Amino acid sequence: MVTSKHILGTFDEALSSLRNDLLMMAGLAERSLDRAIKGLLERNDDLCANAIADDEEIDQLEKQIDKDGFEILLRYQPVASDLRRVISAMKLSPNIERVGDQATSIAKRARKLNRHPPLPEVQLIVPIQAHAMSMFKDSINAFVREDVELARAVVARDKQLDDMNRSANRQLTERMMQDRDQLRGYLNLILISRCLERVGDHATNIAEDAVYAAAAEDIRHQTLAVSA
Amino acid sequence: MITLPMPQPEVIESRDREAAATPDMEQEPLPLVIESKNLSMWYGSKRAIENVSLDIPARAVTAIIGPSGCGKSTFLRALNRMHELVPHARIEGSVLLDGENLYASDVDPAIVRRRVGMIFQKSNPFPTMSIGENVIIGLRLNGVRDRKFLNERLEKSLRMAALWDEVKDDLHKSGTSLSGGQQQRLCIARALAVEPEVILMDEPCSALDPIATAKIEELIQGLKAQYTIVIVTHNMQQAGRVSDFTAFFYMGRLIEIGSTTKIFTNPSQKQTEDYITGRFG
Repeated sequence: MVTSKHILGTFDEALSSLRNDLLMMAGLAERSLDRAIKGLLERNDDLCANAIADDEEIDQLEKQIDKDGFEILLRYQPVASDLRRVISAMKLSPNIERVGDQATSIAKRARKLNRHPPLPEVQLIVPIQAHAMSMFKDSINAFVREDVELARAVVARDKQLDDMNRSANRQLTERMMQDRDQLRGYLNLILISRCLERVGDHATNIAEDAVYAAAAEDIRHQTLAVSA
Repeated sequence: MITLPMPQPEVIESRDREAAATPDMEQEPLPLVIESKNLSMWYGSKRAIENVSLDIPARAVTAIIGPSGCGKSTFLRALNRMHELVPHARIEGSVLLDGENLYASDVDPAIVRRRVGMIFQKSNPFPTMSIGENVIIGLRLNGVRDRKFLNERLEKSLRMAALWDEVKDDLHKSGTSLSGGQQQRLCIARALAVEPEVILMDEPCSALDPIATAKIEELIQGLKAQYTIVIVTHNMQQAGRVSDFTAFFYMGRLIEIGSTTKIFTNPSQKQTEDYITGRFG
């Protein structure tokens, strides 16, 4: 979104710095997730180690964004769209950080799987990963571009990811009963699928905050509000 | 005409996202004390405010914000005919107080100013009078002589202005012996003594330090249970802290009025957004 500059240049610089840190954090989380899944599919422990190493930097950026946000609130007392952007940025970062945590968790499980013979069922993870990753990328893009429609579309896609996760769980559980020697391997795949489903939940949270930042509209928990 | 919404019932809830997203028109209108209708005002040939139609709700604080020269103080003065003291000032349109036109030919401006009191930027106690005399001068000028009544009103007004405890033993001292913040509260007590319906405040804290400012702001919060308050302020944080409604003026026009939460989270007009976020100019 194109907005005119503030009279106070340092305010613009502080907002820009906050936004850049957020984008860097999202980029790292995306890379970490990508490396973790590649480490799984390509049975590459180095990629898994890289994914885990990224998490440290993501954690530091979460702290930095909190610090930047507090300072902006303290020094500039932002209002209106500025206030919504700062608050939303501060709410986005824990969600991005948890995406990083999911990537780490996937990478650790992938390393365990890599120590055993390959399981063809690992391919069940591919479409789930693609769906979760696209939700995460789009949620960040929606925030950056203040694209309310894209954000709403991300929220709507979460149910499909939940269904994909459930379907994979069902298939993997059946395999567990048939092939008890690979119990741990199937369990790790179930948990990896669960991690990706959680990535979708974080993307949904991010998208909801993107709608608030852009349009001052709270779209969280709307199903509950309607049924109450 | 812009219809004012009810303020949210709880301050905390009123500042949440739902309030920001709720269209004002869905809320119940408040009873009004002052209605300006198509109000325009000139100083000589220069038009200072233009066609301002604005409702001031009862027992609430309405803040008026806007850049210097936008007409906010002029508008305030028009609400108690104070501008008539300025040579070549002229007005069109009307201001209704409880439904009565303040500018009707049979209305005495002195009565208007008793019903609609004003606090100025710089405190202005009468320098030759004591603290006590400053408070009751309005009543005396209105012919009240009953000593007991005057004493009761003196204490009540000073208590309401949160000044009684600080000056009760020094009522005979000069009003100018007080600090700036105390002098401003003395002026508020003076305004309260004649029991107005509306209190207009024109930058009442701009000459005060942060502690004295906080005391005045606390006082405003207390007074709104009984009085309707309109405050002109350059300090947007102050508007955010003390007011229920905020009106934004620009170049003599009312651009927008809404609940303070709405104005400071999601204003409807781009000019308002640009001004409050510091992008103006």
